[in-house]
Amino acid sequence: MASFTLGKYLPYNSLIHKMDPRAKIIVMMLLLCAIFIPAGFIGYGILVVIVTSIVLVSKLNLKFVVNSMKPMMFMLVFLLIINILVIKTGPILFSLFSLDIYLDAIMQTFYIAIRLLLMIMITTCLTATTKPLELTLGIEDLLKPLKVVKVPAHEIAMMISIALRFIPTLIEETERIMKAQASRGVDLQEGKIKEKIGGILSLIVPLFVSSFQRAEELAFAMEARGYSPGEIRTRYKQLHMKYGDYLAIVFGVLLNIVMLTLSMVF
Amino acid sequence: MSIEFKKIDYTYSVNTPFQFVALKQIDLNIEMNKVTAIIGATGSGKSTLVQHLNGLILPTSGQLIVNDFVINANVKVRNLKSLRKNVGLVFQFPEYQLFEESIIKDIAFGPKNFGVPEDEANKIAKASLKLVGLDESYLEKSPLDLSGGQKRRVAIAGILAMEPDVLVLDEPTAGLDPQGAKQMMELFKKLNTVHNKTVLLVTHDMEHVYNYCDNVVVMKKGEVFLNSSVNTFFENTTYLDELNILAPNIIRLKNMLKNHNIDVSGCDDIHSICDKIVKELK
Ligand SMILES: Nc1ncnc2c1ncn2[C@@H]1O[C@H](COP(=O)(O)OP(=O)(O)OP(=O)(O)O)[C@@H](O)[C@H]1O
Ligand SMILES: [Mg+2]
Repeated sequence: MASFTLGKYLPYNSLIHKMDPRAKIIVMMLLLCAIFIPAGFIGYGILVVIVTSIVLVSKLNLKFVVNSMKPMMFMLVFLLIINILVIKTGPILFSLFSLDIYLDAIMQTFYIAIRLLLMIMITTCLTATTKPLELTLGIEDLLKPLKVVKVPAHEIAMMISIALRFIPTLIEETERIMKAQASRGVDLQEGKIKEKIGGILSLIVPLFVSSFQRAEELAFAMEARGYSPGEIRTRYKQLHMKYGDYLAIVFGVLLNIVMLTLSMVF
Repeated sequence: MSIEFKKIDYTYSVNTPFQFVALKQIDLNIEMNKVTAIIGATGSGKSTLVQHLNGLILPTSGQLIVNDFVINANVKVRNLKSLRKNVGLVFQFPEYQLFEESIIKDIAFGPKNFGVPEDEANKIAKASLKLVGLDESYLEKSPLDLSGGQKRRVAIAGILAMEPDVLVLDEPTAGLDPQGAKQMMELFKKLNTVHNKTVLLVTHDMEHVYNYCDNVVVMKKGEVFLNSSVNTFFENTTYLDELNILAPNIIRLKNMLKNHNIDVSGCDDIHSICDKIVKELK
């Protein structure tokens, strides 16, 4: 649990950390788009290299990638089985107990796994290198044009940033409640299935209760300090796009073009 | 039967930017069948220390012995559940662990997990609730509708119901009213004297340390600064000054009287001191 880094800001000093949050969000969107362009082996090869280098440039530990894949293993195995049963195209790879395994089934599963992995890497990269406050400002600025059509940009940004801010808190809370219940004999590792279900219930209920309490307290605290969402306010921190930020966005667009071309060629 | 910490280190979030060494080379022997207080400034590692006792936190290095249980750093521990039956731990804010729809169910949750049959567990739950000073009318209420102090009591009852040999309490009286705090401390003392339980409690209240505890362990910046009997600790003013601790009222009174050349040694409560003063002044 402690190694769970999703949504946690990691205070390193890197090029990516210094980027403008708006540019980072745009580049992330572009990268996510690129992932869903079916550009075959070469395309995914390029993406894996690019995303891995971004992670490395951010000075993040690559171990988290492996860790974040673990919980999804079950799902992927399940998917693989379904794909093997359903997809009957492409050359036959081999036969298993009179069941033909087609190449496409394996490839489909592989692509989905790679996509998930890349998605996790990209989003983690964004949240780990951007302070929640900066992220909020970035989202707010990017949503601003939508104000014309009555999209509450500031409120959405605030909600997202609060949600992000509380992910680590919730994890800590979960750990604490787990410990408290473990002290009362809940055994999520070695116990029987029935006991485990009861044990999980003993985690979820207190977690819900404390989350609601926390949300209520936060709302009161914000109100007590005069927060009112519709108000126009000035900013202490101003965002400035730099040369490198524009470059990154251009790069993201180019990447998408390359991917599209690749997908059309193959 | 013993509780021994041998050269225990504990580091939070190893290998991350948040790495933090919370315990350093802890060598500690806790006397059995006594009440031991653990004191120290906030952040000195008290909670981290006590969570080792039932294996919630496993040492980064060193060895821990609790009764016949031996925990070595970096060796997988089996059957922690039986250790947890022996050592009951009440958390710093235990009210967050309540979850059942009724108080009696919540208190019986612990014993049931350790294999006590349902009706037996309910019986123990009723008795435990009484011990912590809440009457039977609470049994069927939802634990979530209680006040903070009442929740605290229910949570403590939940641990008492497990009938552990060693009872560990992390600031059990924080946030209770003075009367309630006194009741709780008396309860812990009684569990020690009548039921022979070993009690460890983290506290910031020197009056409680002086009145209810036998031994005291002082933590300072993740290290054991001192482990001695309560009497030696309070007699020695250099420790208190160094730790910036205000001695209990009665000790301060005695020291003041000593400075006025009134000998009150051997008097341990306010009445005998009064008698002595009256005698001296005559
Ligand atoms: N989950 C955690 N991750 C990282 N550091 C932690 C964690 N929990 C505690 N610490 C750090 O370890 C140190 C000791 O914490 P601990 O909770 O043991 O203190 P304490 O003596 O119980 O304090 P208090 O009197 O406030 O309860 C603190 O400096 C704290 O910042
Ligand atoms: Mg503490």
